[in-house]
Amino acid sequence: MNLLQSAADGVLFGATYALIGIGFTLVFGVLHKINMAYAAVSVGGAYCGLLALSLAPAAPAWAVFLLAFAAGGVLGLAVYFACFHFIPLASPLATLMSTVGMLLLIDEVIIHVTAGMPRSYPAMFDDVMLQAGALQLRGDLLLVFAVSVACMGALLALLYRTPLGLATRAVSQQPVAAQLCGVRVVQVNALTFVVTGLLGGIAGALIGASVGTLSPLLTLPLTVKGLIVTVIGGLGSIPGAILAGLLVGALESLFQHFRGVTERDIYVMLLLFAFLVFRPGGIFGPRAGRD
Amino acid sequence: MDFYVGLAQLIGVHALLGLSAYVVLLTGQVSLAQAGFFAIGAYAAGMLTVMAGWPLLAALPVASLAGAAAACAVGFPALRVRGLMLVIATLAFAEVVRLFFFNFDFQVARAGVKVGPLGGEGFRQIRYFPENAWTTLEVTLFIWAFVAAIMALLWWFDRSRFGTVLRAVGDDELAAQSVGISLTGAKVTAMALGGAIAGIGGGIYAHYTTHIEQANFNILLATLAIAYPLVGGLSNVFGTLVAVVFVQGLLVEGLRFLGDWRNLLFGALIVLAMNLRPSGLFGARGA
Repeated sequence: MNLLQSAADGVLFGATYALIGIGFTLVFGVLHKINMAYAAVSVGGAYCGLLALSLAPAAPAWAVFLLAFAAGGVLGLAVYFACFHFIPLASPLATLMSTVGMLLLIDEVIIHVTAGMPRSYPAMFDDVMLQAGALQLRGDLLLVFAVSVACMGALLALLYRTPLGLATRAVSQQPVAAQLCGVRVVQVNALTFVVTGLLGGIAGALIGASVGTLSPLLTLPLTVKGLIVTVIGGLGSIPGAILAGLLVGALESLFQHFRGVTERDIYVMLLLFAFLVFRPGGIFGPRAGRD
Repeated sequence: MDFYVGLAQLIGVHALLGLSAYVVLLTGQVSLAQAGFFAIGAYAAGMLTVMAGWPLLAALPVASLAGAAAACAVGFPALRVRGLMLVIATLAFAEVVRLFFFNFDFQVARAGVKVGPLGGEGFRQIRYFPENAWTTLEVTLFIWAFVAAIMALLWWFDRSRFGTVLRAVGDDELAAQSVGISLTGAKVTAMALGGAIAGIGGGIYAHYTTHIEQANFNILLATLAIAYPLVGGLSNVFGTLVAVVFVQGLLVEGLRFLGDWRNLLFGALIVLAMNLRPSGLFGARGA
């Protein structure tokens, strides 16, 4: 029964990994580049949310979340202009290095501003306990899950039901053809970074709320987890990232149950290697002919 | 004076790390696993001299072999993927190695004191140099002898058939394959050679710092490893050395007067450099 309990906790928390994975995969789909600074944007956005508390100490938790959401979008746009806009598309290594530089920069800014001390993060519904059969579901984790699912729904609606989504999908399939049809590629690229930044900001706030504290030490593990989710789900696949995020969350929780917190990440990465060897395309690999 | 000797030692060790990434980059693969091989070499050499009482010169080849073996083991599965997927796979490998050493407790009693790696606390007391009364200058010369030997070896490789094969794979895989070059063979050989060099570098690093812990071998080190050859350009081995001197000597040490702000500037400089010169500071255009 404990197994089921930790798997359930893992799935609920895994929703945040899914959000981070979507951010990586969306940028990869549009630009065919990896934005290594993404998890740093996410944590940076969450930290900006804390500004609400320092401006108005009585600010409710949802205001912190909202500010984190908005700040993530702004940071995402900043990353686009600092690391992608002026670097030629043909040098993937240069954007890789520039985004790693951005990752270090955001981390260091956070350390500089907070003097390296972890900050406690406000949570919502953390005193609620839901009883589902024999399972106990933590209220704050349920909130994390619900908000993540809502964000994913909004994202899918944006991608498949709006002209902007149509343009984004067109650019990800054939940038040149999309440009010839009158799609403003630069605008679409920049908006992709804003959208992923918004998702990242809310994911960072949710992670801060469910962990209880926020620390710049979160960025690297989150970067690695997000990349693992992206690869397992299949680079560029949004349903894959969602499924892989929940899967990684559940398995991580189970590994922690069996082997303890210090060892769990080793097994998560071995899982990644298993996928690389047996199914390098991920769960939903890109269809043939798509570059 | 001591400061400059210490800096020379640091530059020597980082040059070995950069050269290990240089070999792998010649075949067009970006590997963030070099920090992992470096860690394996560091722990292997440290354990051999401290716990088994081996002389350093006997421990370094073993460390090198351990690095090469790990590189082969990573190379085969990782070569099923390329490009950005390889970056992720090797990054994950480096993290696995780091987390392994985070959980690695293996201590033996020597002369009444427990020695050996102790998980998160790291591996203390790798005191081969002080125990054998090496002066700082001797240690520096020892490090640079290895740097010079490996640079000479790589310089010679570059001019041999082997180097041409590696560069052919890096320039155009399809063309290389069509003239009969084995892609897997070339890539795994380059990985193994890179792993061997990183293993030696790690072994030396462990002995000159005397204390290693898993946090030393983080993503920053992995990024630095590939940053050196990328900044220095891939036209020859000296670019990597120049880049190490530039980054460690000028950027890291030279900006120390900025204190806390130095770390901030470091990330910003990488971003700026990549915007201005996407193909390396000293590299040929399009390298």
